[in-house]
Amino acid sequence: MNATTALLRMLVFPGILFAAPAAWFFLWIERKAMAALQQRIGPPFMQPFFDFVKLMGKQVPPREGLGGFLMKLWPVLAVAASAGAVGLLPVIPRSGGFPGDLVLLLSLLELPSMFIIAAGFSSRSLWGELGSSREAILSVSYNVVFLMAIIGIAASQHTFSLQALAQSQGSPLRWLGVLAILICLPAKLHMNPFSVTNAEQEIYAGPMTEYTGHELALWELAHGMEWVAATGLVATLIAPPLANPWMAGALFVVLSVAVVLVLTIVAAATARLTIDDSVRFFWRCALAFAVLGVSSVLLMRIKL
Amino acid sequence: MSYRIPMGPYHPALEEPYKLELVCDGETVQDAKLNIGFNFRGIEQLAETRNFIQIVALMERVCGICSNTHTLSICQAVEQIAEITPPPRALYIRVIMAELERLHSHVLWAGVAGKLIGFKTMFMTCFAVREQIMNVLQTISGNRVNYAMNRVGGVNRDIDDPAMILAMIGELEKDMVKTVIPVFTTSHSALSRCTGVGVLSEEKARSLGVVGPTARASGLPQDLRRAAPYAAYEEMDFNVPVEHSGDVKARLVVRALEILESCSILRQALSKLPAGEIFTGDESEMEIPEGRGFSRVEAPRGEVIYSVTWGEDTDTPSRVHVRTPTYINMPAVRWMVRGARLADTPLIQASIDPCYSCTDR
Repeated sequence: MNATTALLRMLVFPGILFAAPAAWFFLWIERKAMAALQQRIGPPFMQPFFDFVKLMGKQVPPREGLGGFLMKLWPVLAVAASAGAVGLLPVIPRSGGFPGDLVLLLSLLELPSMFIIAAGFSSRSLWGELGSSREAILSVSYNVVFLMAIIGIAASQHTFSLQALAQSQGSPLRWLGVLAILICLPAKLHMNPFSVTNAEQEIYAGPMTEYTGHELALWELAHGMEWVAATGLVATLIAPPLANPWMAGALFVVLSVAVVLVLTIVAAATARLTIDDSVRFFWRCALAFAVLGVSSVLLMRIKL
Repeated sequence: MSYRIPMGPYHPALEEPYKLELVCDGETVQDAKLNIGFNFRGIEQLAETRNFIQIVALMERVCGICSNTHTLSICQAVEQIAEITPPPRALYIRVIMAELERLHSHVLWAGVAGKLIGFKTMFMTCFAVREQIMNVLQTISGNRVNYAMNRVGGVNRDIDDPAMILAMIGELEKDMVKTVIPVFTTSHSALSRCTGVGVLSEEKARSLGVVGPTARASGLPQDLRRAAPYAAYEEMDFNVPVEHSGDVKARLVVRALEILESCSILRQALSKLPAGEIFTGDESEMEIPEGRGFSRVEAPRGEVIYSVTWGEDTDTPSRVHVRTPTYINMPAVRWMVRGARLADTPLIQASIDPCYSCTDR
């Protein structure tokens, strides 16, 4: 992949130009499905876009000094990181990629969470600090499982290239890893039962409490693109390899939407766990089978 | 790291304005301070300027959820002063209204509790069921919030078709047994938020004098409908659910069982509804003599007490005093939240079903 194609992928397809509408679409699906499950009507199709436009037009209070600069900086970086993550997804087969892009994707997926933590502390709000410390504790817990699952999948296929993973056939170990990733996604996307970071009844909006206007709009956009990147990663891992690029693209979208629906159903059917219950869950249950996955991969390799 | 976290007077977890100031060590609450009185309305003072017809309408506005409890209490107190006995049919209709109100209050509480633990689906389910109860109340009284059913000497409206109301109650009970109660008693994530949280021991409950479901969940078997029956409760056959663990789960279970008992009382009252008048006396000729009336009613949240004093040769009371259950239960929250996790405090304060509309009357 040369610099031009990389830039095109990040800015046009499947990067920002494609990812922003996709983010709004996914946010809409999530909100609409949630509404349907809760016997509500739900928002109209364009609502996430209207929300974005409305927020963009709002005034932001003047913030001075380094703290104010940082508060402006974090949402921009979060959008850039999520757009980069979406840009790396091999939506169309044989569209490029480089060895080890999976590692880059993982780090880009992780960055928004770090920016959220930083934003909460930069805002110097009590609720922001509480939310950020919750996010920090939670990300330390679920990321171990998340990384183990990815390492398990990559090691079983002998590659860290997304393209190669997308083209290879599924195996039982890969499904085990996908399951572990699916368990981590609600925590990554701040959804029930792991929505402790933005538990409105406890700490208002957590790290986002002090944000408004276009800064909040950027955070919302980054959150939407995280949805696209995270569900896209799962779709890449579970999609069977197809030669026709149109078919592959359509299948990718269908699978991503399916993942969104699964996560929404889980969120609708659960209450919010407390931070210590969430951490306990990840360290006890999910880590156990992530370790199982990785160790069985290693054993298989020794045998070979 | 030690924080002082203000919860209220405006907070997403609170429906009404009051303030809990939490002293936290990290996510653990060490102590709490309670402030009330943000929305004082001076209703007791206003009551001294109202006659016995107007005062019923005024007292109905003390609370938006248990409006019927307040009219029932004031009517009973005034009837005591004037020595009026309402006809049996009126007493039965009072029981029916009181139990319907208890049902909708408990289901509303379950919904709010669901919302507080981030379980919004539960909230929507509960409010859908509550809508059916509101329909029954509307069918009977024509109103959804202030039913205007009670008057001194009886009730304002009759129940013409008890069979239809019975059918509605049957549907309602089926829905509640199918959805609301199982979700709260079997959902793993909901139970993990309620078990062992916000414990109030029996000893502490007794020394703080808590009332209603909060007391019954801490092992105190007190219920005015049983201990000091009013209206037609003496003729009803029902159980008083008591739990002993004193945590949020116990308060939940007590309310869930009370929902079922309320349905049973409603069925009995509707099927045994005696014939006859629905009120005694002519309001235009009625005069309230000098005296003091005292009335106690088991509201959905606990005991409501009305003390009414009527002066000589006046048509307005000289003093109306109201004691509401939230005022009595709220100090217990301070003991419940000590040592609790910050995440559990919204649920703990809600578990006594606080009503600041009543408290800041």
